[in-house]
Amino acid sequence: MRYFCFMIIVVILSITVPVSAGYRELFEKEFLSKPWSSEILEESACVECHTSEAMPVELRSIPQEWQLSWHYQNDVSCHDCHGGDSTDATMSMSHKRGFTGTPKYTEVPEQCGKCHIGILEHYIESGHGKALKETGDGPNCVTCHGAHNIQQVSIDIINAQRCSKCHSYDRAKMMKQALFLTDEKIEKIDEDLKQLRSKGVYPEKEEKRLFDTQAKFRTLFHSIDVARVKSETDFYTEQLDSIEADVQKTYDQLAFRRKFSTFLMLIFAGSWIVASYISKSYKD
Amino acid sequence: MWQKIREGLNLRIGLTDLVDSSLKEHRVPSDTNIFYTIGIVTLVAYFIMAVTGYFLLMYYVPHTDHAFSSVQNIMTNISFGWLIRMIHIVASNLMVALVFIHLISIFFMGNYKKPREITWLAGGLLLLVTLLFCLSGYLLPWSQRSYWATTIVTNIPTAFPVVGEYLANVLKGGEAISGVTLTRFFSLHVGFLPPVFMAIVGLHIFLVWRIGLSVPPFSKSAEEEKPWTEYSHTTYAESYPFYPHFFMKEVSMVMLLFAIIFFIISFFPTMFIPEAANTPADPFKTPADIKPEWYFLAPYQMMKLIPNKFFGISIQVIAIFTFLFWPFFDTGDEKNIIKRPALMGAFIILLSVWFALTFWGRYS
Repeated sequence: MRYFCFMIIVVILSITVPVSAGYRELFEKEFLSKPWSSEILEESACVECHTSEAMPVELRSIPQEWQLSWHYQNDVSCHDCHGGDSTDATMSMSHKRGFTGTPKYTEVPEQCGKCHIGILEHYIESGHGKALKETGDGPNCVTCHGAHNIQQVSIDIINAQRCSKCHSYDRAKMMKQALFLTDEKIEKIDEDLKQLRSKGVYPEKEEKRLFDTQAKFRTLFHSIDVARVKSETDFYTEQLDSIEADVQKTYDQLAFRRKFSTFLMLIFAGSWIVASYISKSYKD
Repeated sequence: MWQKIREGLNLRIGLTDLVDSSLKEHRVPSDTNIFYTIGIVTLVAYFIMAVTGYFLLMYYVPHTDHAFSSVQNIMTNISFGWLIRMIHIVASNLMVALVFIHLISIFFMGNYKKPREITWLAGGLLLLVTLLFCLSGYLLPWSQRSYWATTIVTNIPTAFPVVGEYLANVLKGGEAISGVTLTRFFSLHVGFLPPVFMAIVGLHIFLVWRIGLSVPPFSKSAEEEKPWTEYSHTTYAESYPFYPHFFMKEVSMVMLLFAIIFFIISFFPTMFIPEAANTPADPFKTPADIKPEWYFLAPYQMMKLIPNKFFGISIQVIAIFTFLFWPFFDTGDEKNIIKRPALMGAFIILLSVWFALTFWGRYS
């Protein structure tokens, strides 16, 4: 009977395997192309067109630059800045679908300011913003941050090489010094929060508070007003101290957890040794 | 006072007689090894899961908007909630490992043979129910890892032609993992699977008790060799009472289980909770590197390697059925696997393939 069952299974397999040979293509389509196969491709008409050979060479590198950017890591895609419909190749650049294309040089701050509202306000009031408005030639967002390969900002963006393109570095250096300690503290807390995540904690509240403080602080230095940055630094330091204290409490809690579970481990390890000894004594 | 309670119970239910007849007079072979205690240790692991699961139920909310935050609430705000959840997570993984070890040791010692075929079948079913427990429980925290790992595993049935998509959709309650899936998995995890598990465990224990423990095939006291023509409780050349001799051995192994659980919680707390398990589920953001849990890695890797996915799933289904009904195919008298080189070779190759696929799946 059992050999009969085995034979039936073998027959079923030998019939179905050749019949289902066409499943290879289906498998690749249905199995490997699913998001969880980690081989997902960006399905975007913008990317498809901009990487094709029909596109002028100078525009072909844009998708690659964007894929290396901080925007890409945070799900900010082509249509978020330029409008249009990235899911429909024929209508992707239609004005009816909100396509705005490349903004004029003077319109760049407004385009970025659609999301970075606070920064826009400070920028407009700053010397940079006023120069752009008055001469049409002052620095805009792209001048310092780049267009597509935009990276997460750090204080290092203020440097002699970049600032000296337009003016002397002295004033910018003073601004960097005013920002230095607070920025360093932000980075330290950010690192501590990353460590907490790797230790199995989800510090959502602290992360949001840090993000909020960091965003406001970085918004502030777009005013390029050294005196203002210095006068408001104390406020941000207090905020950061409070977040730091909460992060420390979580670390203390983790230390307590380890000690408590180690204590339980020792109790049970001791019980194991005693019970083993008793069970062996019975046998003897 | 204890004396009075005992006398009272003796008077009413004959407690001493019951303990003597069911525990002290019940004999076990004197050369049992620690592998004989794995079954009861697994059962204790299940009870740990049940008790900790009950406490988690008090604070867990099975809704996509609240599941993740309720789990984080347990971990951070509820007194010793972290301990309860950590025990639940670590014990669940150890339970799967214990079931595997139990089955491998039973197979290696040939203890599935007549008259223990149904005991083996019940044990195999318990492994499947345990994996279902893990699958359904894994989604409940509604984290990135649980969401995407469940997406992977629930897509495996799509390998079946014609009915595959339907099966996967029934499992998920739709085309993708959603709130419906969460509700289904939650009810499966806490409502349906526990009674099914208890029923099969009940049958398994009854059979072990009724037939008696088998002896290792290569031990000094061989099990009484006679054709199994009628039922009789197994007798042994050398044996000792179940209580307290074997019972204390089991107690010591249970203590070891607890010590291992707390060792992992103390020194490797993130072993089963990587960073993606601490991020809320986002159906629109596929993590770059997401894998199913370790016990599903081998079938997952196999599905990736075999291009014909129907062939891949067929191999797995046949393997499961062969594994479950193996005692009905292997009906020879020889229990000692060392005297059966072909079977031992095949067994070692299969185990090696399973380990290789698991590691390959993990690091590919």
